[in-house]
Amino acid sequence: MELVKKVLDNDRASIAKAITLVESSNPKDKEESKKLISSLINHPGHSIRVGFSGPPGVGKSTFIESFGSYLVNKNYKLAILAIDPSSNLTGGSILGDKTRMNEISKSQNTFIRSTPSKGSLGGVSYGTREASIILDAAGYDFIFIETVGVGQSETMAANLVDIFTLIVGPGSGDELQGIKKGITEYADIFIVNKNDGDLKLQASKTASDYKSALSFYSKKDNHAAKEVLLVSSIEQNGMDSVIDTINNIIEFNKSHKIFHERRENQLSYWIKEEIRNQIQTKLDLEVDRDSELINMTKSVIDGEISIYDVSDHFLEKFLK
Amino acid sequence: MDKKSNKNNKISGWKKKFETETKVSNADEFIISTDEDINIKPLYIEDDIKNLKFVEVGSLPGYGPYTRGPKASMYVNRPWTIRQYAGFSTAEESNNFYRKNLEAGQKGLSVAFDLPTHRGYDSDDEMVMGDVGKAGVAIDSVEDMKILFDGIPLDQMSVSMTMNGAVLPILASFIVAGEEQGVSAKNLSGTIQNDILKEFMVRNTYIYPPEPSMRIVADIIEYTSKEMPKFNSISISGYHMQEAGADNVLELAYTLADGIEYVRAALSKGLDIDDFAPRLSFFFAIGTDFFMEIAKLRAARTLWYKIMKDFGAKNEKSLTLRTHCQTSGVSLTEKDPYNNVVRTSYEALSAVLGGTQSLHTNSFDEAIALPTEFSARIARNTQLILQNETGVTNTVDPLAGSYFIENLTDEVAAKAWNIIQEVEELGGMTKAVNAGVPKLKIEESATKKQAKIDSGDRVVVGVNKFQNPKEPKIDVLVIDNEKVREDQIKKINKLKKSRDNEKLEKSLKELTEDAKNGKNLLYSAVKAIKNRATVGEVSKALENVFGRHYATSVGVSGVYGKYFEGNEEFMHVTEKIENFEKSFGRRPRVLVVKMGQDGHDRGAKIVATSFADIGFDIDMGPLFQSPKDVAKDAVENDVHAIGVSTLAAGHKTLVPELMNSLKELDPENKIIVFVGGIIPEQDYDFLYEKNISAIFGPGSNIIESAEKVIDLISKKNNQ
Repeated sequence: MELVKKVLDNDRASIAKAITLVESSNPKDKEESKKLISSLINHPGHSIRVGFSGPPGVGKSTFIESFGSYLVNKNYKLAILAIDPSSNLTGGSILGDKTRMNEISKSQNTFIRSTPSKGSLGGVSYGTREASIILDAAGYDFIFIETVGVGQSETMAANLVDIFTLIVGPGSGDELQGIKKGITEYADIFIVNKNDGDLKLQASKTASDYKSALSFYSKKDNHAAKEVLLVSSIEQNGMDSVIDTINNIIEFNKSHKIFHERRENQLSYWIKEEIRNQIQTKLDLEVDRDSELINMTKSVIDGEISIYDVSDHFLEKFLK
Repeated sequence: MDKKSNKNNKISGWKKKFETETKVSNADEFIISTDEDINIKPLYIEDDIKNLKFVEVGSLPGYGPYTRGPKASMYVNRPWTIRQYAGFSTAEESNNFYRKNLEAGQKGLSVAFDLPTHRGYDSDDEMVMGDVGKAGVAIDSVEDMKILFDGIPLDQMSVSMTMNGAVLPILASFIVAGEEQGVSAKNLSGTIQNDILKEFMVRNTYIYPPEPSMRIVADIIEYTSKEMPKFNSISISGYHMQEAGADNVLELAYTLADGIEYVRAALSKGLDIDDFAPRLSFFFAIGTDFFMEIAKLRAARTLWYKIMKDFGAKNEKSLTLRTHCQTSGVSLTEKDPYNNVVRTSYEALSAVLGGTQSLHTNSFDEAIALPTEFSARIARNTQLILQNETGVTNTVDPLAGSYFIENLTDEVAAKAWNIIQEVEELGGMTKAVNAGVPKLKIEESATKKQAKIDSGDRVVVGVNKFQNPKEPKIDVLVIDNEKVREDQIKKINKLKKSRDNEKLEKSLKELTEDAKNGKNLLYSAVKAIKNRATVGEVSKALENVFGRHYATSVGVSGVYGKYFEGNEEFMHVTEKIENFEKSFGRRPRVLVVKMGQDGHDRGAKIVATSFADIGFDIDMGPLFQSPKDVAKDAVENDVHAIGVSTLAAGHKTLVPELMNSLKELDPENKIIVFVGGIIPEQDYDFLYEKNISAIFGPGSNIIESAEKVIDLISKKNNQ
């Protein structure tokens, strides 16, 4: 495949077209996409995939701009997949993430792609996983996946990355409730942003709140400690602690086999998801078209058969 | 029968008669809701001027609350100042133009600077290649400033300068130019715009973040109050808000709220209110809503009086709002452009009946290009005719006592007052601006206005009704941007060779130090400029401490689409987009960008939000991008099209560069590039030759444009 070769050569336009292909809802593209991914997956790069999530307004993109330019200045190659939540339910979307990534978007060492979430669950869009495989094969050192934090979404985002980071703002104490439950499970690093100006005091208070909340969370033996970090995106402060922490956790995870275990788990999750998706698509397409459906529905209404008879019948018919 | 019921009988009689004439069951059906959500009735009566909240009917001009004018005699004593805003290419060219205008009867000068100067870049900076000398004059150092005012005695001529970002080096250059002409600072008269808050809201020619920018404003107010008693330290501007789409109430409210913020900034310097408040001036836009504009100016004076009283001002000059006005640029149309002469005339009359102190009338070709000598003359004569032939100067505030005008003035004041209170609750304008609230409200208002025009709700003669089948061709002014840039670079190089570098370095260091230690920056800026620092060097010395500000962009959505529920043309385009999505597995994706230093983003924002409502996926590019950045952004996101919005005449350099950059990144790219904004027809062929697919001038219908774009995209991708 010509496209595979060009992606491996880090040709910008080809990487972009490859991502379009894996995001496409067109059935023909999907077949092409399967071929592409099957082949690229045999050319793994060395990317570390980092997830960034957090509630709206905490400055996720601003942090990524700041941290990103810190990395780019250290000559890292950085790819960013920004899942933009600002989707219009009826119309198209306005993708404004890049207006907050002014500096890094200019660098030759970055690749930044926004994708409308289109209201899909999890703040992760269809194709994000595949896109990260493309970017890995294309040779990026880091792949950032930026999602908006809305409840359940972290679970899915966490399933795509090697390290999952939650960004919060000063005074977000209310979210501590939520933290005790779901998110701590998935987040490896907590970043308290806006540690600057008038907010400094509040930011460090928030950080210690998080630290004490985390101390209640029982530490498993085979886990790197979860870290709480204070940063200022606008002053570009604390960025070295972020990269050090990422590197430490990755190193720890690699030496404790967690890193590969995680990737394997994600792979099996992916396979199951793929099966689910394919069944779903098949059923959606074929059951709807099946004339038997109308007749059998009528029989259910007339009390001749139960709905379970119908569903069992169709499952058998299509899963043969 | 008592008097009251007699009157009521009369009114119900009128109502019946009205209903018979109009054949409607209820006269209330003729109530019109304006952009400001003010209901305009078919008839106003005596009751409508009773119990007004802000307006004191029967007050006199020259007395609080100054609704009727800041002076007792107004135009009877001296007509408003005809102050035409102009500037282009080099200081030499602009100087020549100013001198001709002064000979032809213009009274004051108003300098337009080019975008690189606004943003604190020298003409030789790589960032500004396409912008030098385009939308104003290029000023790189005090040498340029001296040429600009050559032969114009600065102790006699009042000079207004539209400068906000690079205020320090520009005001410093003006002061030094005056000094070297033999005029000391205390004898300089004029105005510097120095209104940074609205830059963050709409115009985008800021340099530093809001907080240090506010400090610079306060430094200038402090300096002028001490050293330049005849100079207006600030021109608090609503103009650009209306240009960006704000309705009149929003314009008024945010302008006065900005004023409050500047007063606070100056007070925090320890100044007494009456030390500086007499030198605060205002600047409003005058659009086509004739009576509303009159009411706005009257309401502005009324509210400012109240605000300044609350601040404890005592000096009469502190209590009066004095304003410059400019007719609306956004009301001008590219179609049938001579109509613009008429629009501008009505707007000028409106400004005069509202009691403005000075006025700029736009040239009819400004929707297409910079004014020519011919169009500038018509614009100036519009005012000369008003002053000399119509008799409007014979009576002070002639509309006072009109039931309608007094009522409308009060209503505009009341609505604006509510918004001012909202801003106060957010903690003042700096905080509101940081939170992005005014920007969003203005964008929403702009989108609504556009939807009203596109849906035919609002008639624009020659655009959506009464079109001229034979569009006239008009001559436009062409600036040879390359030559201007070369000339400027030569001058910069010459300056750099002849100056004392040791002295210069010392003064730039001092400037940086003062930025850190909180000293008034204008004193050290004047020193640096005297030592022949360039505008760019002064700006950079401060940038080292303050940083450069980058705006983020949040768009409104759903506002445009709401106007077209069930509209056939709208649905027709939406359907085309859905079909595209079915064939290609994703929505058509369009990157909307501004390039170069042009920060006027109303058009780009409207296109982005309305195209998204129609069904496109829209990528919003950051402001101030280079063509290379845009190409990278477009290729990485694999967009189908790029929409370039250009209002500052950069299209001839920036667009071809974009096409080259795209080709370099992806030789086989299928990206459609279309251009919108102010582009003279003479340049259309040039752009088409560079493979631009479509050009949309001002007044283009969005739905039609969207259809053209989706058609072009489909065609290209089906090839």
